[in-house]
Amino acid sequence: MSTQYSILFKQEHAHDDAIWTAAWGRSEADGSETIVTGSLDDMVKVWKWSDEKLELQWNLEGHQLGVVSVDISHDGAIAASSSLDAHIRLWDLDSGKQIKSMDAGPVDAWSVAFSPDSKHIATGSHHGKVNIFGVESGKKEYSLDTRGKFILSIAYSPDGKYLASGAIDGIINIFDIATGKLLHTLEGHAMPIRSLTFSPDSQLLVTASDDGYIKIYDVQHANLAATLSGHASWVLSVAFSPDHAHFVSSSSDKSVKVWDTNSRVCVNTFFDHQDQVWSVKYNNTGSKIISAGDDRAIHIYDCPM
Amino acid sequence: MASFGWKRKVGERVSKSTLQRFEAEAETAGDSPPAEDGVDWTHAVKRRREVLLEDCEAKSERLKGEGALLAEQGRHWEAIKKWDEAIQLTPENHLLYEMKSQVLSILQEVFPAVKAAEMAVKLKPMWWEGWQTLGRAQLSLGEVDLAVRSFQVAVHLSPSDPTLREQDLAWARTLQRQRRAAREKTRQEDEAQRLVLDAPELRRDYDDFESDEVLEACAAVAERQRRLEELRRTTVVLDADGNVRTVVAGAGAGGASASQAPLVKARGL
Repeated sequence: MSTQYSILFKQEHAHDDAIWTAAWGRSEADGSETIVTGSLDDMVKVWKWSDEKLELQWNLEGHQLGVVSVDISHDGAIAASSSLDAHIRLWDLDSGKQIKSMDAGPVDAWSVAFSPDSKHIATGSHHGKVNIFGVESGKKEYSLDTRGKFILSIAYSPDGKYLASGAIDGIINIFDIATGKLLHTLEGHAMPIRSLTFSPDSQLLVTASDDGYIKIYDVQHANLAATLSGHASWVLSVAFSPDHAHFVSSSSDKSVKVWDTNSRVCVNTFFDHQDQVWSVKYNNTGSKIISAGDDRAIHIYDCPM
Repeated sequence: MASFGWKRKVGERVSKSTLQRFEAEAETAGDSPPAEDGVDWTHAVKRRREVLLEDCEAKSERLKGEGALLAEQGRHWEAIKKWDEAIQLTPENHLLYEMKSQVLSILQEVFPAVKAAEMAVKLKPMWWEGWQTLGRAQLSLGEVDLAVRSFQVAVHLSPSDPTLREQDLAWARTLQRQRRAAREKTRQEDEAQRLVLDAPELRRDYDDFESDEVLEACAAVAERQRRLEELRRTTVVLDADGNVRTVVAGAGAGGASASQAPLVKARGL
């Protein structure tokens, strides 16, 4: 437990090329903490976080092109990854074996996200459809249509009620999962939305865009609650802390910023990366932040609790 | 003292009373040096940098436009000359390097084209068009793997661009597959050649030259020879769908090859 923000660990040369995506999960079985990273070098790597350091556990080979997005199921047993050639692969984190490979169609996968019950995986597609794949079946089960453009980012609300998608033209869509109805369409940004995240109580939605702004929406009323500026370039990734009090963002200006949810100010900026920071995530308690980017490094930061 | 427009403007910002007081003080100071070299230091104003920068920018913009016009008319070298001049004025302008790279590619100056495009993406790493141009330049240089990487970066920055995905990246990957297949074939050929020249069977001393062992060894060597010839007769080609296939070149059914005939003879003994 630290009382201030500090960098705790750096893994240089974690991949042979730029790291585009990272995820942090916790195994329900043994409580171990797992980090999964995906890179332009076509590799997915699985790391164990223990004794305040990273240990490489698996090199997962199979993707033919760069890995755009990874996610870990909520029980910490399965990882999903998607690559530029729109193949989604599921991996068993215990054995390091591939469970399934799904071809989503030529351009029909970008971000992948597990549903809160970890039975489905959502991914955005080229024609503005959100495709939902079954983890068990390995097949597309249904899709939600935004009638919009290419969907770059996807997030499930933790209560399982909503699914939000961010498109390349800056439009945000929020679906009711139970009915499959499109609840809200928000003209949030004028530029691509690379990342979005719900607050732990599912009341707020935070979006990150190439326009350099972060926006906070009230999900129920579809109101814009705040617009935050601070990054000097594209905002590439956002993630909410499980403690609800903070969220973190990363940008192509090479910085990682931690924001206070209530006061909406930036409480800390990490300037430790040498290049664009493509991905940031919290661990399950909110005590650590992971970031990874074009400099091929994985950084772990300590957060005051 | 010559007085220019912009100098007057600077003077006007100082309040009149302050200026008068300062001048009075300067005069009473007495031993002021201006008389010596004829420079009036008390009124000299530092040349403002931003005025100069603005001029560079405007001139560079004009040169860029002129270069683009020349390039459109097919006067490529003249266009490059204009852009080089512009680069001298604004070395941080990524657009100039990128356009130069495109024209250098047209002129088949592949290596300078790659260099220029590399400069463009270094200056503006989040600009996908720069990566596309770099990828195309790398492809003309024959650096297929690097081109595939550049196109991937471009797709990652701009995922919805159809040309980038369906043409640039797809084509570069096809070439990459073809190259890998060709490389694999060369490796197989080399391996076969090595085995023919340095057959493990020949390393042994045979006591009895009549034995079945010798016959077997001969058959094995001949089999390898045949395999090598077969490998040499095939070529890696790309079919219309861009798939890599290995086909037998020349008349495939053209009877026994050189190595098959003597083998039959050897057995006849």
